[in-house]
Order: sequence, then C-alpha cells, then structure tokens
Amino acid sequence: MDNKNPLSPHIQIYSWHISSLVSISHRITGIINILAVILICLWVAYLLLGETNYEIIKFFLQSFFGKFLVIGIVWSFCFQILAEARHLLMDLGYGFELKTSKISGLVVIFGSFILTVFIYLIGR
Amino acid sequence: MVQINLPHNSKVLKGDYYKDKTGSKNIRKVNIYRWDPSKKENPKIDTYEVDMDNCSSKVLDILNKIKNEIDPSIAYRRSCAHGVCGSCAMNMNGKNGLACTKSHSELEGDINIYPLPHLKVLKDLIGDLSTLYKQYESIEPWLKSSNKNNETENLQSIEDREKLDGLYECIMCACCSTSCPSYWWNGEKYLGPAVLLQAYRWIIDSRDEERKERLQKVADELKLYRCHTILNCTNACPKDLNPAKAIAEIKKMLATT
Repeated sequence: MDNKNPLSPHIQIYSWHISSLVSISHRITGIINILAVILICLWVAYLLLGETNYEIIKFFLQSFFGKFLVIGIVWSFCFQILAEARHLLMDLGYGFELKTSKISGLVVIFGSFILTVFIYLIGR
Repeated sequence: MVQINLPHNSKVLKGDYYKDKTGSKNIRKVNIYRWDPSKKENPKIDTYEVDMDNCSSKVLDILNKIKNEIDPSIAYRRSCAHGVCGSCAMNMNGKNGLACTKSHSELEGDINIYPLPHLKVLKDLIGDLSTLYKQYESIEPWLKSSNKNNETENLQSIEDREKLDGLYECIMCACCSTSCPSYWWNGEKYLGPAVLLQAYRWIIDSRDEERKERLQKVADELKLYRCHTILNCTNACPKDLNPAKAIAEIKKMLATT
C-alpha cells in the first residue's frame, strides 16, 4: 500500500446518532467516574486528619462550584449505570434492532437526568 | 491508535466551483471529494451545480450526470446500479451507503459525497479495501466438510437454513466496516463488522464441520472484542442487515460453549 496516499475523512464527516452518542458518553463518564472515586477517597482520607478539615470541605461543597461538581458526578454515575445496564442486555443478545437501540439509548440519556434529580431530592 | 485529526497530507481543501450551464431553475449543489494521485496536492472538495430537472432519482445518477456532462475526470466505482454488487459504497451526507440505492430526495440540503471513511484513497471516491479483503480471506469463507460424497446433496433442515437469513444477503460493500470507529482506530487488527458477519455466517452453518476451530480463531481481544456496540454498522448497512447482532451472537456462543 502506498502510504503517501491521503486518508479519507472519518470522524470529521460521519454523522452521529443516538447509539454512537451513548457509546462515546459511556466512555467519557467512565473516565469522570474514576477521577470522582479518587476524589472521594482523598476526601475521606482528609477527614481522618481532623474536624477543621471537615468544615473546609463542607464549605466547599456548599458553594456553587461544589454543588455543580457533586451533581455532575451524580449524573455521571447515573449515566454510567444505565448505559451499563443497556450493555448487559446487549451482551445477552437483545436490543440490536435499530428502533430498539434508539429507544434504549434515549432511555439512558433522559433516565440519567431523571435519576440525578431523584437522587438530588433524596439527598437534599 | 486513536487519531482524531487527519494527517497533514490528508487535510481537505476547497476546490473548484462548476457553475450550472443549462440555465435550469432546479439546481442542487453537490460537493465531491477529489484527489488525483498524479498531482502532488492535498485532497479538495469540488462543487458542482446539477440540473435536477433532468436527473434520475438516485445519488449514482447524479454522479453519472456529472461525469457525462460536467467533469469526465471524476473517478468512482460502480457496476450493477441495483444494490447487488456493492461497488458504489460511499459516504453521502455523513452516512455510508450505496449510491445506486440512495435516493437524493432523502438527503437534506447540499449533497456531500466522500469516499468510505478512514481508507487510503486511490483516486477521488475510490478507497483501498485490500486490508479488508485480506481479513475476509483470513476467516476462510468457504464450507469445510469431510463429506466426500459428491453423488448426493448436502441437505440442511428448514430451521438450519433459516439461521443463515440476514447473513447470506451481505454483499461485502464495506459500508459497515468503514462506519465503525473501532475499525477506524484498530483496522489492522480488529476484523470489523463485515468480516465478523461473514465469520458468523460460516460458524452458524449446520453443514460446516469446523465450528469450534472457527470460533477459537476469532476469539481474540482485538479481532472480536473491539466491538463496543456503537451500532454504526447496523445503521449504515444498505441491505438492512445487522452485523452488530451477528458479532453479539459470536460473543454469546463463545461465552456459553
């Protein structure tokens, strides 16, 4: 193969659909979740060092940015769990028809937001 | 490796503009990817104004019209023009398909035509599919049977025959494989939806005697398990087949046997 030939455009031109959006978001939320778990571990470890640290963290979490961070992480976890459930069903061989995959993808997207609101209301 | 940006020599530039000369009032702009191996230039997008009053219904008809009436230098593969041979697979408005079965009335706005994604371009809309053909060869797509009796038919029950429905119809046009991001990033190692659907077609054939060996052969982290059910393949297939499901069936067979 002549390697000097150009490569035809790929991700630059290919149109997105529900299923590919869910797939890429699944990956991104996966990375966010790993970072979030590390953050939570650090937070817990920090608490061991004393009560004043708790106050600092509490102050941070009650700020606008802190709340945004927490809600963002909750959404990321919700999305990951729903998308994972979709993956499990697909591993069993279900939901590969275009229509079904579109519906299950939409369930994952909207479900993640609904679940986030739900968890927010419980934890408030 | 995941490489989002195109290499420097593949960056697409703005090309020539071919204005309509017929004076038609029903004009559609068609943007086509052009690259000429005899010139040392980057690929470009040429724009053609096409008189739609005198053009038949499919995208291939537009290409033929441009080649016959506007610019004979344009290169693309085509043969049967009825969705049987799979030659005219290309990317139209962001989605792979066969130009001969795709109606241009289904496409919105200006029509953008590119070669199949993430292939080495040979000329204009013609991509190099030799890697895919080598992979196809590697799955040994022929019946393996110890039955040396040539006198009688090798019979199959109606139920066993039905298992091949949705598989045997594949025309190997490569629309699915070249729509798959996993195949873009790992095309050398991952077999891709087209070849895996073919692999499954032979695995599930009741007359074939090497099911185990075939399964073992594709049971590989890179060859098979790079499928992440993005479903671009099923979405692209011009024959309405479901390569993603075929891959899932192979995975299921491997998990349960």
